[in-house]
Amino acid sequence: MKPRKVLVVDDSKLLHRMYEVMLRQVVLLHAYDGQAGLELLRKSSDIDLVLLDLNMPVMSGLEFLAVAKADAQLAKVPVIIVTTEGSEAQTKRGLEAGAIAYLTKPFDGTRLANVIARLETP
Amino acid sequence: MKEELPPRLTTALDELRLTLDRAAELAKQIESQPKPGSPETAAELQSRLADVESDRLELSARLADYEHQVGRLMNLYVATYQLHATLDPAEVQSTIAEIAINLLGAERFVLLFWKENATQCEIALSQGLAQDTSGQYGGGVYAGGDAMVDATLSDGVLRMGPLDGSDAVAAVPLTVQGTTVGALVLLRLFPHKAALKLEDRDLLDLIAAHAASALFAARVYSTTDRKLKTLESLVKLVRR
Repeated sequence: MKPRKVLVVDDSKLLHRMYEVMLRQVVLLHAYDGQAGLELLRKSSDIDLVLLDLNMPVMSGLEFLAVAKADAQLAKVPVIIVTTEGSEAQTKRGLEAGAIAYLTKPFDGTRLANVIARLETP
Repeated sequence: MKEELPPRLTTALDELRLTLDRAAELAKQIESQPKPGSPETAAELQSRLADVESDRLELSARLADYEHQVGRLMNLYVATYQLHATLDPAEVQSTIAEIAINLLGAERFVLLFWKENATQCEIALSQGLAQDTSGQYGGGVYAGGDAMVDATLSDGVLRMGPLDGSDAVAAVPLTVQGTTVGALVLLRLFPHKAALKLEDRDLLDLIAAHAASALFAARVYSTTDRKLKTLESLVKLVRR
């Protein structure tokens, strides 16, 4: 599956710009907190990937995941966490919450591209 | 008596002889070649396979290097773009912080600017300072005492640690038209980022070159805009 519409949920404008440059072939939807991200995810049924930060205002990434994974429809959308939180416990928490991959910042475009490429090959 | 052969037949026989000679030569060549499955053929194939594998590894290494370079350039491009994307001083400061966190992996840092009296540096922005025990960053000002920070603030040279007499990871001068107006000091990296890498130097150089000028331009615009609005209000008031 090659993602065509990706939801970016991150409170950093810099990172949103980074994803725009990196994923030029993809339609991006932008949310700056978990709550806004959930609203967009509910509205757009054709989103096929979520790039999620953990530390955000209003609603954190883990709270976002808990709500999304409890909804049968939203739970189908794969989520990749990209965060500054790099501890083993936090990584475990993120993956147990339903993320398919857990990447730490500083941002590494090559690593993210590799994870997305693995998504593309079933 | 020797029987004379017609000329055409002689030519045909010559051709036949030549062909037979050629066939014999080819047969010898084939004989001398290693037979399939012979040790010579296996060795040759092994050698070719090793060459192909070596080429493949070289290409993979080049591809990885190329991807790495693309990643570096992308980081630099986005950082520069974002620094100059706004004329709001607060947003420029926020972009500097985002570069420090998201692209450099800084967990604790301060953004210092010389006060107008130029005797003290004020802390314009900080992250994670609550955990700082050095006592050098308190009351909204940098008290001095860190060898790396003091040196950078004084000579405008970018420094990366470790350095004797300093707890800082890096001190990045912020310069406008050759004058050092402050510094971005990285005090600690995230636990999962062991140290700054060589390519991080590019980003630090970029901050040194662009951050202060972007901030300076934003402040000038902000001040001018505020003055303009005040003047417009005055003009409206006078016209009434």
